[in-house]
Amino acid sequence: MSFRINEEGGAATVFLTGDIDLETSPLARQTLLEAVGRGMPVVVDMGGVSYMDSSGIASLVEAFQKAKSAGHEFSLVRVGGTVQKVLALARLDKVFRIL
Amino acid sequence: MALETPAGSSPGTDYLSLFAELLEDFASLDIELSMVRRALGRIAEAMNAESASLFLLEGEHDDPRARLVCQACVGPSDITGLSLPVGTGIVGRTVQRDEAQLVADTRLDPDFVPPSAQMDYQIRSLICAPLSVKGQRLGAVEVVNRRDCDNLFSERDCEALATLANAAALALTNARLMQQQVEQARTRRELELAASVQRALLPRDSVSSDWVRGVNLPARGVSGDFYDVLPLPGGSIAFALADVSGKGMNAALVAVKAATLFRSEARQMRKPGKLLARIGTELMETMSQGMFVTMVVGIYDPRTYTVRFANAGHEPPVWRDRDGQYHAFAAEEPPLGIVAPESGVYPETVLRLDGGSLYLYTDGCTESRDEGGAMRGAEGIQALIGRYASLPLAERVQALADSLAPDGADLRDDITLLVVEGKAPKRARRDLLLRQSFPAEATQLKVIRHLVADIAGKAGMAAETAQELVLAVDEACQNIIRHGYRDHVGGRIDLSMRRIAGRLTVELVDFAPPVKQDECKGRSLEDLRPGGLGIYFMSALTDSMKYLRPPRGAGNRLALSKRLARKQDGEQG
Repeated sequence: MSFRINEEGGAATVFLTGDIDLETSPLARQTLLEAVGRGMPVVVDMGGVSYMDSSGIASLVEAFQKAKSAGHEFSLVRVGGTVQKVLALARLDKVFRIL
Repeated sequence: MALETPAGSSPGTDYLSLFAELLEDFASLDIELSMVRRALGRIAEAMNAESASLFLLEGEHDDPRARLVCQACVGPSDITGLSLPVGTGIVGRTVQRDEAQLVADTRLDPDFVPPSAQMDYQIRSLICAPLSVKGQRLGAVEVVNRRDCDNLFSERDCEALATLANAAALALTNARLMQQQVEQARTRRELELAASVQRALLPRDSVSSDWVRGVNLPARGVSGDFYDVLPLPGGSIAFALADVSGKGMNAALVAVKAATLFRSEARQMRKPGKLLARIGTELMETMSQGMFVTMVVGIYDPRTYTVRFANAGHEPPVWRDRDGQYHAFAAEEPPLGIVAPESGVYPETVLRLDGGSLYLYTDGCTESRDEGGAMRGAEGIQALIGRYASLPLAERVQALADSLAPDGADLRDDITLLVVEGKAPKRARRDLLLRQSFPAEATQLKVIRHLVADIAGKAGMAAETAQELVLAVDEACQNIIRHGYRDHVGGRIDLSMRRIAGRLTVELVDFAPPVKQDECKGRSLEDLRPGGLGIYFMSALTDSMKYLRPPRGAGNRLALSKRLARKQDGEQG
């Protein structure tokens, strides 16, 4: 399992794939925080995510807050139905910028 | 002791800064040889001495066989590795008296032993201070030949060295304690790892059938006992129960090997006597001297209630017949690994259970203590069997395990038992869709999710609804792993799924400390921070979420229920 960061056009895009659960979320968190640490807007491509639970959400929230406090944009793209539902359940669909 | 810069007799010897520097070094808990050499160099330099060396004591100082061995030195002659009997020389005297020694002129000291002629090195004057903490002697530091002052050391030099040696001894003791702790922690981690590897290699707890069921409770992380149940094509069930002599890793590895042999051979070989002989031959080739395995192997045909088994030196299996009479079948052959039976096969016992049950158990069961602290013995086990004889198989095995190893009991030995049931269950529990145990580890969540989704689908739940139940179960398991077992390996989650009155209920039983109910309130959603979402998800995604009274020996029992049919619009809340 590996998650990729792609730097292009002044933004860092993180590609998350597969199931983001208790097993994989530590790596997702690490990747997200690394992207935030690059000091540019962060875009999280959720297109490949098949499942996400609260530990995945926790990783997103933490990265989102770090980005916000550093004054950088943090947005999600290609959010699928399953993930959208989980975000909505946590009422985070209004907090995250979903493009 | 005065630490002011000495004047006159020892010009330029700034002990105060030397102390400060060396104490800083010694404060480190991880002392390396290079550091010791550097410290010796500084001492020699500060004292304007030709050489300095560190001797450590190997053995107890009052044991004449003990030696003082030079671990490090600086100076024109390298004596590293030099080993002296503990009673000889000035170093020996320093350690014996536990007191710094000043030898102004070695020619005048009868204890002085000159270095061997090959060394071509004259020792004219020396000081030597003991390394000791509260009388516990570790060794000594020796400084040789002052370059100035007519080669003579002063009392002040001697006192300074004594103070330094004190600090060094403390640092050394700390480093040794630290080392011990690190090693203990490493051993603990290795045992935890070994236990988890063994669990992965041994048949899982969930291995069982409606007819044969077992339980294994390891006394320590790793177990020398095992049992296995293997349904065969055609409806028969092969089973085995074994106890490897000894404890710890060796026994655990042999147990894994025996279990693996049973698994692979039982599929081809339907004669327990031959099967046991084959396993014995294979084990003998690799097992170390003096180890042995007691083992019972059997095949049960539930259609005729006939069990056929062979026994290599194991405790006699006990048949409790339907009238409550007990019949024990003593082994006719010795354990595996000692000598192969002359005939090449182990004798078989064929028994029609006829409404009764056959019980196999290890000596951990017979040697366990009852409520009064007395060893149970075979009779005590029979009394227990009698007490629970009327329970259905699964409950009976659980009840026996709970009695043999009550909650919190410190097991002296592994407890393993296996029951072969000789009567059809009263009624099939149609509502039970799944009952399975999982290691409480993050890697299992994917398996659990697939299983729950699959069974919910087969039970007629719509995929979208099932997905919600899956997320709720996932969150519940996460809570057990992270907050119940606190990420320690070795925990277990028993998962069962039932369909009752239009609902699917998933029950999760864990063996972690009981959770406090009031700590399980979900957080407010306005409180935007990582974590704490799980409980909210569990209650929002199910129709009911309840903590029930856990079964004996368990920590928590959580039931999550969800209606099979989709909720009407507007009901969502």
